[in-house]
Amino acid sequence: MSAGTVTAALDVPRAAPLGRLLAAEVRWVLRRPRTLVMLGLFALIPVLIAIGVTVADRRPGPGRGLIGAVAGNGLVLPIAAMTVALALLLPLAVAMAAADAIAGEAASGTLRGLLLAPVGRLRLVGMKAFGVLVVAVAAVLALAVVGVLAGVLVVGGADGQLITLSGSTLGFGEAMGRVALVGLWTVGQLAAVGAVALAVSAWTEHPLVVLAAVLGGLIVFGVLGAIPALDWLQPYLLTSGWSAGIDALRDPLPRGGMLDATWRALCYLAVGAAATIARMQRRDA
Amino acid sequence: MTLAVAADPVTAVAARVRGVRKVFGSTVAVDDVDLDIPDGAVLGMLGPNGSGKTTLIRMLLGLTRPTTGTVELLGRSMPEAAATVLPHVGALVEGPGFHPFLSGRENLRRVAATEPLLATRAIPAAVDVALDRVGLGQAADRPFRGYSLGMKQRLGLAGALLLPRRLVVLDEPTNGLDPAGTRDVRGIIADLHAGGATVVVSSHLLTEVEATCTHVAVLQSGALIAEGELRGLLDADSTGLVIVTPDADLAVSTLLAAGVAAYRDDADEPAMVVPAGDAPEVIALLVRAGVAVHEARRRRPRLEELFARLTEGAP
Repeated sequence: MSAGTVTAALDVPRAAPLGRLLAAEVRWVLRRPRTLVMLGLFALIPVLIAIGVTVADRRPGPGRGLIGAVAGNGLVLPIAAMTVALALLLPLAVAMAAADAIAGEAASGTLRGLLLAPVGRLRLVGMKAFGVLVVAVAAVLALAVVGVLAGVLVVGGADGQLITLSGSTLGFGEAMGRVALVGLWTVGQLAAVGAVALAVSAWTEHPLVVLAAVLGGLIVFGVLGAIPALDWLQPYLLTSGWSAGIDALRDPLPRGGMLDATWRALCYLAVGAAATIARMQRRDA
Repeated sequence: MTLAVAADPVTAVAARVRGVRKVFGSTVAVDDVDLDIPDGAVLGMLGPNGSGKTTLIRMLLGLTRPTTGTVELLGRSMPEAAATVLPHVGALVEGPGFHPFLSGRENLRRVAATEPLLATRAIPAAVDVALDRVGLGQAADRPFRGYSLGMKQRLGLAGALLLPRRLVVLDEPTNGLDPAGTRDVRGIIADLHAGGATVVVSSHLLTEVEATCTHVAVLQSGALIAEGELRGLLDADSTGLVIVTPDADLAVSTLLAAGVAAYRDDADEPAMVVPAGDAPEVIALLVRAGVAVHEARRRRPRLEELFARLTEGAP
């Protein structure tokens, strides 16, 4: 076929199938070496905690805090690992994915190609948000799955059962349910971070700005949350509900903390999505 | 395309630019440009660095909005009609953009996945054909990171050629290419032209443009200072006669004696130049004087001379 042959009529707007776009985005995200390295590091976190707890357990003295609760109670490990990682590492991973998603594509000159194909500007946001969400899910999955494995194999104890912070015992099935709940809730929190990061990514051409903004934001939120005079700010800070994952280790399960954090995350998600879409509608490439 | 469609005034022009002006801060990048690109033309966009070529191309493609003025591509207003028009447009703008960690083939597959007019099952074959067409078949599975400048450029070209297009826009397509690559690009443009596609190519290599283009548009400091059919522009600029003769001295003295200005110019061959003169009269004079006239032709300037005169003469 000669290259100039005109085949399709010039009449209606056309777009590549959404499924194909999403598959291409996921393939791109998961083939990126830094994503793979990052997922490997997330898989290491539960292993390191497990080894640390097991070694510390041999020494005299009581274990303290959340990590201490893992000792002899392996199924606490995945939940502890996710909670620890949510403080900084998971948001950073999501910010990195969001930075690459728009600012990174702009920097490498590929955003232009996407808009020229054309991938509609709204679909482009959807495709990019999906890619960031995939990274969040993959990172949380790595923590949860390796956490369960390391919890059972390295830490062991409690006969495949979970001893709650309240002192009761949960069977393996119910413990898995609690792990899944925390995983899902964590992904929700990360979606909020991702939406805001994606908005920053849409407004800049430098991927580093996105990382700096998210990291700076987390630190500022942490500082604001620690000032007693600014107590009234707490309900507005995304980070203030991030310890609620531990609630899943209590029996019966208190829902308040996780629900509050989820509503807050939804608000951040809406603001981030709106800012991203608004910018991408007019962004030059 | 049927004749009736070709005669339609809306489709007879592949691109129509009216009163377009683009201002970045206090810099005027493109200043009040009117331009029609005829359907099926190969338009060479010329201009010194920073003359607004790329900005104009970006506005054509809807990548950036004009500050004022309108742009129509394939008869539809841009950037509003991007989803309708751009599937039929292939473009290589501001250098090839690809991901270093993917191979050439994977990069191109990613591009192909976003092409609205490409069926999913046709993608692998289309990618292979495009890679072969630009001569990258052998290097397709190496990471883009290791590509030379010329190979990167070839991959960018492959992206524009993934499927048949109505319009192909190539911004500096020969950047970084070796002479063989430049010849390949010339062949590709000729193929596209023969297939009925409109081609817009910006280049600083004037000999390339002269060899491949039917039309030219010359930009200077954001303003369009000349546009039209290449032959017409060159003919309009042609003055005088070149007469090839072994008896150049005799010829010059004959004409000077008859009051016609003439001088020797042996740069390419023994010849004489008559800057202004009526051809039949000059030749009759020479033949009567016994000068052997091997060849007489209108002096047509090279595009390079025309371009230099246009861009240096302008303020």
